[in-house]
Amino acid sequence: MSAATEEILEHLDAVSFVAGRDARAALPAVLPLGETAALRFLETGRDLFFYDREAGKALFHATADLVQAFGGLDPWLAQARIFLTQRGTFRAAVGFFEQAATVCKQYGLDGEKIWFEEGAAWIPLHVDSAAAYFRMPVARLFGGLPAKDLQVLLAPAREFAKDRLGLASYLEGAVKVRALCGLAGVSHWAARGRDVLAAGRVRGEAWFRLESDESRAFLLEVLPGFRLGPHKRLFALLLQAWTGLYLPMEEGDWSAEGGRSFLETDGRSLFVPAVMPDREEAMLAFYHLGAHLAFGSYEEAAIQSLFREIGMEHPPLDADQRVTWRPLFARFGQDLLRFQLIFDILEDLRVDLAMEREMPGYLQRILAAAERCGPPPGSTAAAYWQEALVLTRQAQSHNLPQDLAVLASPTAGILDAFRLAMARYAETSLPPLQLAERAAAFLPGHSPNAARPVYPRRQKGAEGAEMDAGGNLGAAGHQEKPREAPQAAEGNDPDLEIPPEDIQGTGGRVGVGIPLPAKVHGSGRGVQGPKGGWPYREWDYRQGKYKENWARVHERKLRERDEVRAVEIAAQYQGTLQRLKKALQAQKPTRMAPLRRQKEGEEPDLDAAVQFVVERRAGQSPKANIYRQRRPLQRDTAVLLLADLSTSIMAEAGETGIRVVDRLQAAMLLFGEALLEVGDPFALYGFASKYHQEVLLYPIKRFDEPFDARARAILGGLSGRLATRMGAAIRHSVRQLQNSPAQRRLLLLLSDGRPADYDDGGDPRYLQEDTRMAVREALEQGVHCFCISLDPRGGEYLPLVFGNGHYLVLPHLDQLPQRLPEIYLRLRGQG
Amino acid sequence: MTQVASGQEPLRYLTEEPFYQPVGNELGVFMAAWGKRLPVMLKGPTGCGKTRFLEHMAWRLKRPLITVACHEDLTSSDLVGRFLIEGEETVWQDGPLTRAVREGAICYLDEIVEARTDTTVVIHPLTDHRRHLPIDKLGMEIGAHPDFLLVISYNPGYQTVLKDLKPSTKQRFVGMNFQYPPSALEKQIVMREAGLDAERAEKLVQAAAKARNLKDQGLQEVTSTRALVYAGTLMAAGLEPMEAVAAAIIHPQTDDPELAAALTEIFQTFFG
Repeated sequence: MSAATEEILEHLDAVSFVAGRDARAALPAVLPLGETAALRFLETGRDLFFYDREAGKALFHATADLVQAFGGLDPWLAQARIFLTQRGTFRAAVGFFEQAATVCKQYGLDGEKIWFEEGAAWIPLHVDSAAAYFRMPVARLFGGLPAKDLQVLLAPAREFAKDRLGLASYLEGAVKVRALCGLAGVSHWAARGRDVLAAGRVRGEAWFRLESDESRAFLLEVLPGFRLGPHKRLFALLLQAWTGLYLPMEEGDWSAEGGRSFLETDGRSLFVPAVMPDREEAMLAFYHLGAHLAFGSYEEAAIQSLFREIGMEHPPLDADQRVTWRPLFARFGQDLLRFQLIFDILEDLRVDLAMEREMPGYLQRILAAAERCGPPPGSTAAAYWQEALVLTRQAQSHNLPQDLAVLASPTAGILDAFRLAMARYAETSLPPLQLAERAAAFLPGHSPNAARPVYPRRQKGAEGAEMDAGGNLGAAGHQEKPREAPQAAEGNDPDLEIPPEDIQGTGGRVGVGIPLPAKVHGSGRGVQGPKGGWPYREWDYRQGKYKENWARVHERKLRERDEVRAVEIAAQYQGTLQRLKKALQAQKPTRMAPLRRQKEGEEPDLDAAVQFVVERRAGQSPKANIYRQRRPLQRDTAVLLLADLSTSIMAEAGETGIRVVDRLQAAMLLFGEALLEVGDPFALYGFASKYHQEVLLYPIKRFDEPFDARARAILGGLSGRLATRMGAAIRHSVRQLQNSPAQRRLLLLLSDGRPADYDDGGDPRYLQEDTRMAVREALEQGVHCFCISLDPRGGEYLPLVFGNGHYLVLPHLDQLPQRLPEIYLRLRGQG
Repeated sequence: MTQVASGQEPLRYLTEEPFYQPVGNELGVFMAAWGKRLPVMLKGPTGCGKTRFLEHMAWRLKRPLITVACHEDLTSSDLVGRFLIEGEETVWQDGPLTRAVREGAICYLDEIVEARTDTTVVIHPLTDHRRHLPIDKLGMEIGAHPDFLLVISYNPGYQTVLKDLKPSTKQRFVGMNFQYPPSALEKQIVMREAGLDAERAEKLVQAAAKARNLKDQGLQEVTSTRALVYAGTLMAAGLEPMEAVAAAIIHPQTDDPELAAALTEIFQTFFG
């Protein structure tokens, strides 16, 4: 060591103990390069240290790596002097020293030069921007692209510097946008951002940070790939066809983080991402998730067995009664992701094998999709990806390793996959990985299986449990919202008497899954209902007999009216309404049907004339009804639309922000308008209930009333209240229908959930059985019932209540307004 | 005037055995009902083999079969009979039901719910121990031939909500429920009826099993065995599988583009 070197070291020692110690620690890496080099290194180190203590420390700490990566001191040592040119560059310097070695290793000297120069250019402009740049992890910054693409990425940013937009804001967004839409997308996004920035600084910042709705909306617009939104129904249909499952779909989390978006489930609903790479991958994702659901990955017994395996008697539930997976993996500590992925691969393999039995060529499709997209960048994720690919390939050629053969058996369950995962984990050579890398590790269509807490599924065929256990039926897909202020109605409307907190809690349900207090107030004992009303019997399946005069129906007027809303709806659905009316008018001529055997008419009825002549000759005195008349066919159908106005209709459907009641209003309005056009006698009623003594029927339009502004205004002001005691409402409606002169009578029920009331004791079957009996009674009295339900789980109980073919589940709330009149017309028969 | 119109064609006997593949003990049930001359009601979805079954039974029992496809304007006189004028004479012509009653045929009222309600009243006395047919216009009642059997069919589907048979009518019949046959049998049926090879028949049947899960999703009728036979026939005639499927199954079944896409995807998986 030369005297000059010693001198510098002593100087450093004198100034700071840490500096001297760190410099001495760094020196051995440099000394082999020669005395001059060591001197040069120490000088730069000293200058930096004196200029900024942290920068100097960072240099000394990184020296060994840097020398090794660059094979010497050039050019990084010279580059480091840039941090001496401005005050406050230490954060940038720290980032530079920490990462330069990595950049050099991955992108070579040229790449490092570009990286450094792009950042260095910001030092005179804006020190904080430079810091943000150098501190961004290189993997993120480069995004797996060549170094020169970095220049393209950063090019727009210089311009924004003039508008005092820091690189920090821009870079965060740009990296995400690049991950989502590629470099071309970035320039597009930046160009639009320039306009936004010009309109206002705050708005501009939010745009570039991807925090504003407008930037997110823009991204969704330009995102490459296959948009799932418009095809949700197709996927739902396919899922149902292949697995027999029907699950409501909700918007999946969409984040601008880039990477992959996955289709996920919580056991009740599917969470659909906005975009997936292509149609095939989206389809595979649905099939794969469907396989998980159909083949027991989320089945209650299977999950319990999993937790028993790790010594927990019961799976831990969160506040929403969902199973949380965490404890299953907790024992793996830091290495949790590695185990989770191995488990995912094996469980995926199991359900894929099961799906292959249902759908020939399914594995082949996964393999083809995987080959199309190729392995992910980065060796860690790729290792898992390859592992999954190899296993899938082996599964497809019936060539699985001995230990995994059990997964191909139809009786294999998630527990088998779990045990195998434990065994494989013990001797795995797969590398540990970071959360950020995980998403890339999955084959197309596959996704983390334990991504969300799940509602355990009951096994199919355990029909009794499905129907009787209650508790978790009917609630899916609907956000449980506190109910809104009840609507005013004449008389002592009980809405006002039930304090809102009564319907919060757990236990029975009202309408769709609105929780009720577990303790029911003694079947309404002691609750004095209002006097009067029409008494109806109610069927008690537990005793196998009717409770005579048990339910009392009261007719109440709806006082709340909203003309404005009615007009709004009419305007909103003007197109639909016009189409509907046109279709009805176009249909009219074909609906002219000859009336045979009339006393007068335009033309003779040959059959009747012959018969007349014959009978005259035979010496009888027949009536001369020998004409045919053409006249619009009188179908002679009377329909009563009975809408469920329980609290649940105030809920939003999914995350859409649309309340059920909004579409219900529109549907009933359109129905009324269509019926006016058709000319059939009709009535509109709503119903709700609170205990058996108070079943409330709200006539909106009776048979003998006109469908006028008053009725429309009532529809406009419709809102939800109370519960759903369907049976009594049906019996009362049947009575109304019987007063109508028509020959064919139809009771059209519109509901969004199963029958329930506050005093059903949490037994969903009770009112369901009563409703079934009410429907039967109606039929005996010549009234046909048909139920249109918005409950995605309607298929579970509607066939039992209304009978096959006497119900329809509308999976999409939005379709209701248009479909309701159509359904009626189809039911009554056309032409 | 009581003269019966001449020149009616003799009743048709089936000479060749119509192919029918039994699924359960439907032959046994029908034979038992026939033994006691109890009227039979065949229930089941479109194209599952109700009519074919009856043809087969008629052949077996060596009885003529009179089929009446019921429609909205079908009145009781269409079934029972009417007067005609021949020269200066009026003659009575038996309707199909009356002929069957007189001559001991099997009378098959297909899709009875489509007919006007007065027709169901006519058949009531034929369906119980009385076994006679009142003919108002002749002012007489005719007793049924010992071999007369009444069979109705009825499809409990979406469109029949308003036209459901009255429970009192239904109860007069021995009910036989028809469903689409299980895969193995359905494959045999498609092979035999369409003259298709086993491989493609198998694929058709498997795909149909999946497509049938789409009930309740806007399909008024799911893919029937008959549709499969049609598709198989078209394939056997040289059409590309997916063309045949589109023509025989998808296009007739739905106008809904998404449903059609879903059905296409399902069949494509097997034939793609």
